[in-house]
Amino acid sequence: MRPFNGINRRSFLVRAFAFCAALVQGWWGRLGSAQADTDYFTGTDFVGKTRVGKFKQFYINYWKPLRRIKAEDWTLEIGGLCESPHTFTLDEIKKLPAHTQTTRMKCVECWSAKAEWSGFHFSELMKLCPPQPEATGVVFHCGDVYKEHLSLEDLSHPRTLLVTQMDGAPLSDEHGFPLRVIVPSKYGYKNPKAIVKIEYVSELQYGTWSKIGPYSPDGTILPGTDHPLDLGKTPHRISGGEIKDY
Amino acid sequence: MVTIPEGPFTMGQGKQPPHGPERRLFLKSFQIDQSEVTNEEFKEQFPNYRFRKGATQHPKTKVSWYEAKQYCEKVGGRLPTEPEWEKAARGASGSVYPWGDRKPKKLPHPFYSGVVKKNVGSSKTDVSSYGIHDMAGSVWEWTDDSQGSLKIIRGGLWNHHLDFEYSKAFEKATIPPGERLSFLGFRCVRSME
Repeated sequence: MRPFNGINRRSFLVRAFAFCAALVQGWWGRLGSAQADTDYFTGTDFVGKTRVGKFKQFYINYWKPLRRIKAEDWTLEIGGLCESPHTFTLDEIKKLPAHTQTTRMKCVECWSAKAEWSGFHFSELMKLCPPQPEATGVVFHCGDVYKEHLSLEDLSHPRTLLVTQMDGAPLSDEHGFPLRVIVPSKYGYKNPKAIVKIEYVSELQYGTWSKIGPYSPDGTILPGTDHPLDLGKTPHRISGGEIKDY
Repeated sequence: MVTIPEGPFTMGQGKQPPHGPERRLFLKSFQIDQSEVTNEEFKEQFPNYRFRKGATQHPKTKVSWYEAKQYCEKVGGRLPTEPEWEKAARGASGSVYPWGDRKPKKLPHPFYSGVVKKNVGSSKTDVSSYGIHDMAGSVWEWTDDSQGSLKIIRGGLWNHHLDFEYSKAFEKATIPPGERLSFLGFRCVRSME
């Protein structure tokens, strides 16, 4: 192909590809924003990602929309490298020794939000369903098909809770009814919601986000800047690990 | 270990906390580890310690302040004070970064949310005028100094999420001494009589 006005076949194709990529990026960006800012789920049988209404103060991310979990239908299965696999009902879970703490949850996407969480320590479940000696962590399986791995060391941290209540009330569907994890030193994607199964495993496993995106499987909150939703997103320097300063 | 000569240096930046006030301090000579303590070195002192294959020369992390202090004492040293750490990083001239005052144009690991560990001392850029490695990158490091009940940590990360804005040689943060975090390691110093 003869160059035309300084443009040959190769540079024409490169420019055309870049133009198309920009169009797709713009369209996708608007779509993503619309998904978060539109209330698709209120009044439906489903729950999913939302940032509208009261959730402007505590963003909700789900991997996929899920059908709202009914308390009477829900069970928690514990298996994998477990000495005695067991299935719990919600009433059984609620009877475990309760603990309450205030924790700020920090998202890897820069925002954070604070709440009072109530639940129990993972050690209570370990007493009832002890891991086999080779188990080093667990995979949490969630109602939205999300998976996340946490080590037994992280789960044994005194600030790590399996949570059934938020701000004095049962977890809402948006915040992971009926059971979620709060690991204060880790980004939000290491705090799985709407848990339906806990599987003991012997090796680190990549969770859903770590498999598909640039998210570290470790997920520890790093030193940097936070933009807390409850403080008008004003930049706050953080030291890394759990945020306790505000 | 590398010997840092006796003499003055610049500590802090600006007039206000957390980095200021900037002042000139004088330190007697001391020795400091050229690189952060590695998994292999840690295992020599604590034989039950296990780490994953291929990480022999990675910095030892997920270590509490108490464990770091215990290691340094076992090898005949101690954790550095803040002034010692900062002098080793900035040199006598008080540069912003260990290598000088300008940040590199290229970010080390763009678009990744976690810590990227490499063998200690592998960065050719991150070397102070005294020949001390990885004081802007690699991992943050425990110091012996406190702020209330928290311990002061110094350093920076090889990580885009923070970029070099958080790797200046006068940067500091505070962490509870019992925490074991994946971005936090240490190195030791020795006083010279």
